[in-house]
Amino acid sequence: MKNLIIIIAVLSFSLNSNNVNAQSDRDQIEVQVDGLGCPFCAYGLEKKFKEFKGIKDVKIEMETGLFNFTYPSEKEMTLKQVESQVDKAGYTAVTTKITRADGTIEESKQNITELSDQSEIVAKDIFVAGNCGMCQARIEKTAKSVVGVVNAEWDKDNKMLTLEYDSSQTSIGEVSESIAKAGHDTKYSKAGEDVYNKLPGCCQYDRVQ
Amino acid sequence: MELIKYIVGLSILFILASCQDETKKWTYQKTIDLDNSTPIGLAILDDHIWIADGDNNQLIHLDRTGKRLFTEQGFERPMHITTYGKSIVVPEYGKDQITIFSGQERTALSLTDSLDAPAGVHYANGQFAIADFYNHRILFGYEDNWISFGKEGKADGEFYYPTDVHIANEKIYVADAYNNRIQVFDTEGNHEMTIGKEEKMNAATGIYVSSSQIFITDFEHDRVLVYDIQGTLIQELSEGLEKPTDILLNDGILYITNYKGKNLMTYNQN
Repeated sequence: MKNLIIIIAVLSFSLNSNNVNAQSDRDQIEVQVDGLGCPFCAYGLEKKFKEFKGIKDVKIEMETGLFNFTYPSEKEMTLKQVESQVDKAGYTAVTTKITRADGTIEESKQNITELSDQSEIVAKDIFVAGNCGMCQARIEKTAKSVVGVVNAEWDKDNKMLTLEYDSSQTSIGEVSESIAKAGHDTKYSKAGEDVYNKLPGCCQYDRVQ
Repeated sequence: MELIKYIVGLSILFILASCQDETKKWTYQKTIDLDNSTPIGLAILDDHIWIADGDNNQLIHLDRTGKRLFTEQGFERPMHITTYGKSIVVPEYGKDQITIFSGQERTALSLTDSLDAPAGVHYANGQFAIADFYNHRILFGYEDNWISFGKEGKADGEFYYPTDVHIANEKIYVADAYNNRIQVFDTEGNHEMTIGKEEKMNAATGIYVSSSQIFITDFEHDRVLVYDIQGTLIQELSEGLEKPTDILLNDGILYITNYKGKNLMTYNQN
C-alpha cells in the first residue's frame, strides 16, 4: 500500500512537471477589443488569428471585449503583429498585453500625453459620425493617440465626442483631422472615400453632407 | 344563377378572411430561457426545436415546451442551420464546412468550391442555398450542380457579409447583413428586388420567408421587421428582443433567437 502511494505521488509530480513545461514555452496574449457585440465579427476575429499557426487556448469574452490566446514563445509574437491582425479583422485593439513565457510583460501604451507647467486643459464637444461600439473604440483610440489629448469619450447616441486636451500641445482641428483619417466624418473634417469604404459594414454610417 | 351568387359570395368572404389574416399583428407570447447558451441559428424538425449555440460550439435540442433534451457538441461556431430530410444541416463558420448531422453521424456537404466562413444555409425544393460570409456571395445548388452569385459591394446584386439565406416562392432571399438590407434573387441568381433600405437596419442577420411575409432580424437595433411579400413594411417587433439572430415561422408561431438575451422568444397572431 505504501509503495502504491509513493508510485502515485511520483507519477502525479511527473505529470504536473510536464504540464508546467508545456505551458512554460508559450506566451500569453490578452487584447482588449471594444465593440465585440456581434458574434459574426467576433468569430471572424478568432478566424483571422487562426492564420498564426500554433495559436491555442483561444477565448473571447464578448461582454468585456477580452480576447485571449497563447502562442509558442520561440516565435516571438510582437505587440505590433497582434494589433495589426486585430486591425485586419476590422477591429481596434484598445490595449494589448503579452506575458512572455519567462514572466516578463509587454504592454501597449494607451495615452502618450505628458503635461507641463505650460499646459492648459480645455474641454470641448465635437460632432463625430459613427454607428456602433466598434466606431466608439476607433474614435476614442484615435483621439487619445494625438499628443496633447488627455481624455476622449464618444457617445454613440448623440454622436458627440467629449475631448479634454492640452491646448499648448494640440487643437480641435488636429484631433478632428486624425479622426477623419481613421474613417469618421467630424464637424470640421471629412474622411476620404477610400478609408470610409474600408470600415467594417456596421461602422459605415450615413455620410455627413 | 343562385349557385353563381353563392360562389361569388363565398369567394368574397374567403378574400376578406385572407386579407384579415395577413394584416393581423404579431404579439409577444413567451420567452424560453436557454441557460447561458448563445443562440444564433434555429430549425424545427419532427416537432422538436434545434438551436445552434455559437459561443459554446454546440447544438441544443429542445422539445416544443422549451425543455432541453440534450446537447451535441464539437461544432466549430455553428450558425444559421436548416433541416434536410431527418438531418440538421450546420454551417460551421470556423471550419469552412457545411455539416450534415443525422443524429448518429456527421458528414460534410459535398461542394464544388471552397467556403470562407459559411454563416447560413437553407434547404428547400431539392436545393441548398449557402451564405458564404467572407466571400460575399451565395452558393445555390445540389450535388455537382452549383451556381455562385454576388461579390463584395453595395450595388444591387452585390453583398457585404451575407449571414443568412432562405429559399421560398421560387426565389432566394438573402440577409445582406452589413449592407443592412434584404435582397431577392431568382433561382439563377438574377437580382429581382432590394428591401429594407428605408428602415436603416444595422446588421440584418437572420431571415425567414413565408408565402405572404418576410421576416428579418435587425441585430443592433433589437428588433424584427416584418414585410409583405412585395417588400412593404407591415410591422416592427421589439418587445423583449436583445440582439436577435434568427427567426422561423412554424405552425403559426414565430420563433426568434435572442443572442444577448440568451433565450428563444415566441410571438403569435392571436
